[in-house]
Amino acid sequence: MLANPFTKALWETRRSLIGWVLGVSGVGALYAVFWPAMETPEMQEAMASFPQDILDALNYDNLTTASGYLSGSVYGLLVPILVTVFAIGGGTRAVAGDEEAGTLDLLLAHPLSRTRLAMHRVAALLTCLAVITVVLGLVLSAMIVPVGLDGVSVRDLAAMTVHLTLFGATFLALAFAIGAAIGGKGRTLASSSGIAVLAYLAATVIPQVEGLEWVRNLSPYYWYSGEDPLVNGVQTGHALLLAGLTAVLVATGVWRFNRRDVAT
Amino acid sequence: MADNPAIRTERLTKMYGRARGLAGLDLQVTTGEVYGFLGPNGAGKSTTIRLLLDLIRPTSGTATVLGLRPRADGLALRRRIGYLAGDFIVDGRQTGRELLTYLGNLRGGVPRATVDALAERLGLDLGRRIRDLSKGNRQKVGVVQAFMHTPELLILDEPTSGLDPLLQQVFVAMVREAKAAGQTVFMSSHVMSEVQHTADRVGIIRDGRLVAVERVEELRQRSVRRVEVHFSEPVTPSAFVGVPGVSELAVDGPTLHCRLDGPADALVKALGRHTVVSLLIEEPDLEDFFLSVYQHNGGGRDAG
Repeated sequence: MLANPFTKALWETRRSLIGWVLGVSGVGALYAVFWPAMETPEMQEAMASFPQDILDALNYDNLTTASGYLSGSVYGLLVPILVTVFAIGGGTRAVAGDEEAGTLDLLLAHPLSRTRLAMHRVAALLTCLAVITVVLGLVLSAMIVPVGLDGVSVRDLAAMTVHLTLFGATFLALAFAIGAAIGGKGRTLASSSGIAVLAYLAATVIPQVEGLEWVRNLSPYYWYSGEDPLVNGVQTGHALLLAGLTAVLVATGVWRFNRRDVAT
Repeated sequence: MADNPAIRTERLTKMYGRARGLAGLDLQVTTGEVYGFLGPNGAGKSTTIRLLLDLIRPTSGTATVLGLRPRADGLALRRRIGYLAGDFIVDGRQTGRELLTYLGNLRGGVPRATVDALAERLGLDLGRRIRDLSKGNRQKVGVVQAFMHTPELLILDEPTSGLDPLLQQVFVAMVREAKAAGQTVFMSSHVMSEVQHTADRVGIIRDGRLVAVERVEELRQRSVRRVEVHFSEPVTPSAFVGVPGVSELAVDGPTLHCRLDGPADALVKALGRHTVVSLLIEEPDLEDFFLSVYQHNGGGRDAG
């Protein structure tokens, strides 16, 4: 478990990972359990009375089907927020947090390159992220029959899981890159979170303004769920955009990290 | 050996924005010696050490460590170095054993027996979480990780801060053994006493420049010592007036006090004409030298 920075990072995060898995899957399961109630005519009527703009902004654009409900509720708001928090928190800790705590010096005084340390830590975080998203997918898959999520297949959930994982990876890479390139825990957290909020607004609120619909095409949030992968399957173009941006961010972060001073 | 230095820097300069961390440091540490790197806080000691480890990069100038460049050959170089920072900071949630196993693995594995032997010698409990350890015990973990792979070069940044006097003695013994085993030791401090028992040479840094380099042995010979002698019967001061190196002579019955400058030979021979009951020559306080270099080098010019 203490063989290298990758296994070390996984080992250190074991308790918090269990918490994240339980939390995210719990939120998903809780929403799913409420689907039978949402299906009732009374609830459908109540939801219909909400202004459409608000429903759009909250991603509740189709609540008449189980997949529309899951897209809007589970995968539309709370889970991506949780995943973003996990990703930005982890990405910030990977370099900037450790540096600010003063614990990076000792490791880098060892025969360990900055590239290797960074890549191992990013890989460990991506592994944790995948565990969180896959367990959520599995939990929901197991609930399809008991809860009556008609029309949702394991294949649909797998596609959604791919998008959710890549979405989380993008913000993980963003926070990692800012921390690795510039350093400073507070700065990294603040700027990554700011960008995440902007991305959310760019996919939901800003496109509602006349002439600004195109803005959503720039948002990782739109690449994540804009084309509804739960219904339409993996959107290759958007998936590649998320994966590509992740790779570029990680590479840029490592490149800058190798060229800068480590703060005391 | 002089043409194969363990550490050599040439005009090494580091600017922090407009503030100067190092201003053209020319340093040479010979292979196999213990080098004391002295200066007050903020003089540039840690900056120098962090440059040698490639944690930061110089604004200009070069550094060569064990014949390698910190930037280009960092991995190969750091494999052969043991580093200890004065404020040894690690994640406190792990035990000493876990941390040392991990750090050992980064070096390709360190025999458990070596770690255990060091820990036992320092009286360190490896099974406890680091956050539950006192500052001194935490520092011991740092000492173990710096020594455990028997590196060719030990870079120690104010290493004994936080160690109690007893452990400082153990540490002094460890540094001497490292030297005896052919290891080079580069040790920074802001007090002379931390290095004077082990260092072959001391370099004094001030405002990012080396202002003096001295052999400790020569400093010792040059420095002033206080002498106290008890005779079996009262003596007359005149017997010691004019003895080379002796000043501030004070005789009170069978007791003599004086200052001694330089070699003790003439005084010892003068004492030999009487029956000496006890003789105390104080260890010279090299701190005075350190302070005098500081007071006399107000301009920070190269005097070394």
